[in-house]
Amino acid sequence: MTLLPFLLALRVAEGDGDLVLRLQRRDPQALADLYDHYGRLVFSLILRVVRDAGIAEDLVQETFLRVWNRVQGFEAGKGSIGPWLLAVARNRAIDYLRSAGGRERNAMDLEETTHPALTSDMEQDLLNSDRIRRVKAAMDKLSPNQRQAIELAYFEGLSQSEMAERMGQPLGTVKTWVRTALRSLREDLGTAVPA
Amino acid sequence: MNCTELRDHYDLYALGLAEEPERSEIREHLNRGCDVCAAGVRNSVELAALLGATAPPAAPSPRLRRRILASTGYEQRHFGWLVLAAAATILAGFAAVYFSGRENQYAQEAAALREQLRRQTIDLTRLNEAFAILSGPETTVTTFGAGPAPPKGKVFVSARQGVLLIASNLPPAPAGKLYEMWVIPKKGSPAPAGLFQSQADGTAMHIQPGAVDVAETGAVAVTLENEAGAPQPTSTPLIVAPLAR
Repeated sequence: MTLLPFLLALRVAEGDGDLVLRLQRRDPQALADLYDHYGRLVFSLILRVVRDAGIAEDLVQETFLRVWNRVQGFEAGKGSIGPWLLAVARNRAIDYLRSAGGRERNAMDLEETTHPALTSDMEQDLLNSDRIRRVKAAMDKLSPNQRQAIELAYFEGLSQSEMAERMGQPLGTVKTWVRTALRSLREDLGTAVPA
Repeated sequence: MNCTELRDHYDLYALGLAEEPERSEIREHLNRGCDVCAAGVRNSVELAALLGATAPPAAPSPRLRRRILASTGYEQRHFGWLVLAAAATILAGFAAVYFSGRENQYAQEAAALREQLRRQTIDLTRLNEAFAILSGPETTVTTFGAGPAPPKGKVFVSARQGVLLIASNLPPAPAGKLYEMWVIPKKGSPAPAGLFQSQADGTAMHIQPGAVDVAETGAVAVTLENEAGAPQPTSTPLIVAPLAR
């Protein structure tokens, strides 16, 4: 049960290039395949953000429609569609969270990080179960404050100032936690920012 | 700022945490096609995607799949065809055995329902395409028809999704004729962008999907042409909408 979404994501990654081509040809079965492979992963992410299953389902629907309508901008054969799908899902969920909470849109417009070109050239099997296990283990190794800062940023879309307010800590301290956490995650995952 | 100075901010950018001026600098590097920053940000988006996959696993309701597919118009067609085909077959069977002579009526009803579903599917697909153009962040909007009599409306142009024309005061083209839309480049000949007919009330919606070189496009126009269409305009345009900049 626990690993099912990840195993499904692994399975689709093998054929993501074909899937993108079929989506671009408006093959209705391709959308069904995309949902079958990534639907649970997208739902899990959105539910973690909005914490309401009904709202999460509405946002999952919006996510898949957005990808369906914008897939022409994705370069088939140049990477997995999963990371883009998750970026769109996160964007939709945080947008909802902000509008529902009366918060202003993020100072950083998340829209610009969901451009399909930014997820091209990624590994076809980026979202494989082994990588996800490793990132979970890496998250578990962070200090509670570092982990909370990363989760507030990723799952709630808080800026560093908003995090400082929420956590009752000085802004400089929160910035240090975020940077240290990101560095630690990269070290544990064995990935460095390209020079 | 140079790429080396921005390197430490890629992860923050991908998470939505980058602050000024680094955020604007990274965006500017990406917009001008900086390969170094593009590779760096892609790497950071990968990390963000992995963070997303750490959410506790949860399962949506089984209805969601059908909802999503239906909202694109395809599942409705797929599902509807199956149901209708099955219903038509069963009805035809009963009719053949018990109500001989009525099978034609049932078959016609099934065919009419299939035709209705087909039209609804086409409409839904068109609406999806129109929505994609309307919701594009880079879509330009041009209003045409300032006076009381001529056709009025708007042209929406999305570099990625295509051109959407919405018009009123455009009477249906006479028999043997249709309206033809043209995308007119700043230099060169107009490119045909599809034939369409307006409704009895004078309204029309026409979509030409596909990429458009917005920077090189001067205007969108509509002429009245023979129903086979024309490779170049043969009549005075009824609508000319110079693209807004």
